[in-house]
Amino acid sequence: MDLMEKLKILADAAKYDVSCTSSGVDRTGNGKDMGNSLAKGICHSFSADGRCVSLLKILFTNACVFDCRYCQNRASNDVPRVSFTPEEVCRLTMEFYRRNYVEGLFLSSGVVKSPAYTMELLCRTLKMLRTEYRFGGYIHVKAIPGAPAELIEQAGFLADRMSVNLELPTAEGLRRLAPHKTRRSILLPMRQITDRREENREELALYRHAPAFVPAGQSTQMIIGASGESDLQIVGTAEALYRNYRLKRVFYSAFVRVNRDSALPVLPGGPPLLREHRLYQADWLLRFYGFSAGELLSEKHPNLNVLLDPKCDWAVSHMENFPVEVNRADYGTLLRVPGIGPASARRIVAARRYGPLRFEDLKKMGVVLKRALYFITCGGRMLYPVRLDEESVTRNLCAVRERLPFEALGYRQQSLFADYGVRVEEQF
Amino acid sequence: MNKKVFLCEPTADGILTGVFDAWASGLGHENVRLETEGDWEPELFVSWEAVPTDSQKAERVARALRRELGQACWEQIFRAALSDGADRADAVYRTVVLGLSEARLSAAGKKGAGAAAALVLEKLQDPHVCRVWELARRTGREAHHYYGFLRFRELAGGILFAEIRPRARVLPLIGDHFADRYPAENFLISDLAHSVRLLHRAGYPWVLMQGAAPDAAAAGAVSGQEEEYRRLWQTFLDAVAIQERSSPKLRDSLLPKRYRPYMAERL
Repeated sequence: MDLMEKLKILADAAKYDVSCTSSGVDRTGNGKDMGNSLAKGICHSFSADGRCVSLLKILFTNACVFDCRYCQNRASNDVPRVSFTPEEVCRLTMEFYRRNYVEGLFLSSGVVKSPAYTMELLCRTLKMLRTEYRFGGYIHVKAIPGAPAELIEQAGFLADRMSVNLELPTAEGLRRLAPHKTRRSILLPMRQITDRREENREELALYRHAPAFVPAGQSTQMIIGASGESDLQIVGTAEALYRNYRLKRVFYSAFVRVNRDSALPVLPGGPPLLREHRLYQADWLLRFYGFSAGELLSEKHPNLNVLLDPKCDWAVSHMENFPVEVNRADYGTLLRVPGIGPASARRIVAARRYGPLRFEDLKKMGVVLKRALYFITCGGRMLYPVRLDEESVTRNLCAVRERLPFEALGYRQQSLFADYGVRVEEQF
Repeated sequence: MNKKVFLCEPTADGILTGVFDAWASGLGHENVRLETEGDWEPELFVSWEAVPTDSQKAERVARALRRELGQACWEQIFRAALSDGADRADAVYRTVVLGLSEARLSAAGKKGAGAAAALVLEKLQDPHVCRVWELARRTGREAHHYYGFLRFRELAGGILFAEIRPRARVLPLIGDHFADRYPAENFLISDLAHSVRLLHRAGYPWVLMQGAAPDAAAAGAVSGQEEEYRRLWQTFLDAVAIQERSSPKLRDSLLPKRYRPYMAERL
């Protein structure tokens, strides 16, 4: 089979992996070989679904002995099975990189023969790319659950980022939909990578040129809407992963029904994109805004509000904290105001040392006034005289048109049912 | 008294020369104004003077800014000067005046020279500072876009060649990145909008050259493998899209159409 055909199949088979970031590590070139890396990451293109394409994201092979029910590559599916050779992967990566098509390689794989055999193939490919082809760009590689620790360790010294997919937010969902994976077999390599990175930090502190282990950190992903979890469970799990495993990112993947399987839900409204979007917003609040999962969700309100983003939703139910005075409030307080993000909060704190700020100044600094106006005063005055009870602020905020990352016309109403309605029925 | 306009060439060096001449004219900051060629029409009752670009004067201004305001602040001002804002020259001038006067004040006071003035770009209440910051941010974003959206093709001689049509004069901002990434390659990036080229020879620092792009025949003669890799890339891009999530509008907002004519993608 020719390379074109293989690439088509193995890129298609890898597309449900969400992560395509090339961020997390600054590495200048060595002056001889091709490749460097930028910590903020670079998007090179965008696919027709609007997702960033940063890495050559492929499976090494789509042959798989596992039979995860949600996956198009599962053993029981009748699909053409192909495999790259290590040389082909290296050549594609080098030539794509040289033309500035990509930031590097994202290598994943179906489980061929055994996890150990598969991981060894991945390691061999990466080793060839780093040592024979002398590639200095970004590499993201999957750790295969169940692979021996030595191979995970070896891969970690060749790659910039590693990830093990949690797949489903609860152990119960995993048992039901991924019979060959267990929570333990997933968390074990994750723990190993976390611990080894800690050790590596000490090595690097002692010897600056010690080899770096997974310098861009570790990530994972969860499928959303396949197994009936609440947002509270999902966000709680993400919070635990950030805290206990020091993950760089948790990705959320709206469930797409690729297999006709009675264990999988039917989602007539398509993948739950709005729900996925709200989860990403909540994730941002955990990582950059100092929120905890318990502040956003509770047993009484286990799901995120569909109509309002989680930060607005939190703010309107805590009106007693507002309005805050922009010229005095500290950074952490500003960060809790809807319409003010980390960048604009920093700018406000820096600029007000030179003199008082007015609403016009805030607008120029990037504050979204149409959201912030209910929560701030400037020099003791609000922008407009508005009523500050929860109900009217909520009504006004809902009227503000929100930019959503998918075609939104008429989508919101539909999504109410598609994203949440189906599960409500299940509960009854 | 009427204001006097110093009309600069629309390059960073041109604007920095204008800053030098306007300051050195001794007319007083409130009596001078900087404009750039192509963005300004002569007005009635306004006297004006064309500023011949002088790279030595520009370098003296650049050195003074680096010393007094610090590297980070200088880079912001430089980016604003590279931008396409019609009012960039005067905004740069006012910001430089403010920054240097604050540097003097803080040097006279107890703080070390430059400590307070380095932060002049945080004073976003000032309309000129705010404008410089906005323009610098816009230019920086465009340069970062080109880190990703620039596409090389391999010419018959093995040289990598890219064409771009940026709004700002981004070449000086992307040269280091690509030279660091491809140290062993000979590459040429042609800015079609401003008729400037960036040339990198393997093992040497990159240089800028004025003038039109190489002739179309030479630029079109790609190497034998080129078409194959381009098709592989297009195949890959089509394959990674998830049909159920299709969202062309989102793609349009993230990958603006003005970049596309010079990319290898089939969009």
